[in-house]
Amino acid sequence: MPRDLGDVLHYFLPTSDRGAGRAEEAVEIGQRSEPLQRPAALPIVSLPIDERDVVRSAFAWNLTVEIARLGASACLVAPVAKRSSVIWPDEGCGPVGAEAVFPHVDGLGALSRAALDVAVARAADSSDGGIVVTCVPPSWLRAPHEGRALLRWTLLFATTEARDLLETYALAKQLLLSSEAMRVGITIHGARRVSEAANAFSHVAGVSAKHLGRTPVSYGLLVDDLHVYRAIVARRPIGLEHPQSRAARALRDVARLVLEDARRIARV
Amino acid sequence: MPDGSRVSELRLAAAPPRSEGLRLLRSRIADVVPGWQALAEDVLGADARIDLVGSEPNGGTVLVLVGEAGQDLELIGRGLAQHAWVTPRVADWLQLAPDLPLRAEAGVRVVLLCPAFRPEAVAALGAMQQPCPLLLGTLRFLRNAAGVEPLIEPLERVAAPTETQDVRRLVAIAPFRTGLTDDDLALSSEEHAEFE
Repeated sequence: MPRDLGDVLHYFLPTSDRGAGRAEEAVEIGQRSEPLQRPAALPIVSLPIDERDVVRSAFAWNLTVEIARLGASACLVAPVAKRSSVIWPDEGCGPVGAEAVFPHVDGLGALSRAALDVAVARAADSSDGGIVVTCVPPSWLRAPHEGRALLRWTLLFATTEARDLLETYALAKQLLLSSEAMRVGITIHGARRVSEAANAFSHVAGVSAKHLGRTPVSYGLLVDDLHVYRAIVARRPIGLEHPQSRAARALRDVARLVLEDARRIARV
Repeated sequence: MPDGSRVSELRLAAAPPRSEGLRLLRSRIADVVPGWQALAEDVLGADARIDLVGSEPNGGTVLVLVGEAGQDLELIGRGLAQHAWVTPRVADWLQLAPDLPLRAEAGVRVVLLCPAFRPEAVAALGAMQQPCPLLLGTLRFLRNAAGVEPLIEPLERVAAPTETQDVRRLVAIAPFRTGLTDDDLALSSEEHAEFE
């Protein structure tokens, strides 16, 4: 039977309405004869990242590895680019079981199907839950319909620079206004102090509340210290290369936030 | 020629060990690339090491490869390979280290240094499409009273990218990190003002 992402996403992606919608889903799932041990598919979180953005691409892979280090199944899905990024790992199973899949796709719809295939396949094997981290070319966010369900849980990386925050707000706006079901998270990086990151997120959240009537969710901050750059150049995950560094600890916190949400979603 | 030495005191010397030779070269590349600033040494490039990486005043990236006697033709091949490998990666380097005095649009040049270049090597260079990114220079070491000094004599100078080319490339660069443009964002002036 042909499978469409939109057919099954409501089982495992978060919704902004945690009241009625969740209750309905719980009733549906509760009609099963046995308690649900594993979701039909692992949750998918989408990260809009340009193929040339090596820092954020590295964050995506490092986040995937860190989720795997927390004991969950973790797979990165990123479309094969014409100009492959220098930081991507080799395709297949990598450190601590983190996996990378690079499908040949040319649009959001095809990427959605590829991500869903991975999410379904890995769900069958994961006893401790897990997640599929999908990198989406930002230009594909404007796709009219096909594949947009992939974006229902989206995590945006943003620095504290004003122009970067403007762009992050614009992406959040585009996503939040496209559907009530969209959940948009923001992780700040490049801040010199925690207060800078907090102020940056608060500013985007405040502007969103004022102009959109909705706000994105905070997913903490990442630290861009020298260890991150060394790890990127060495193509070694920061959590393995420098596990006690501030950067690794911050990454672990973000991974934990993402994984907690993923597990909450999978339980519904 | 090294400053402060009398000609009678100078004599050719054997090349010092590689690490010492590179240390001496770091400051002398400016003899052939005015305004050269050394940035890194022994960088892993296209399946081989790049001896020195530096910048020139327009933000151009300069690679330096040092070959031994008889390696001149091979050095040209390595130079082209490293040029092809580094050119698309300068923008990545800038993301990792934004303070580097480089501009991806300013291009990459490669300085190839060898004790001598045979006529075939010079002919190979001449047959390349212009402007050629390679600059050949003979490298010898001279001993004077103060020690060993490198002497670089360029065989061919290469024109730097023109300002017109730079501007054209800059215009094509998207202003946002995601590659999107202001038009893609479709924000109101009020929303823009919130982030000014």
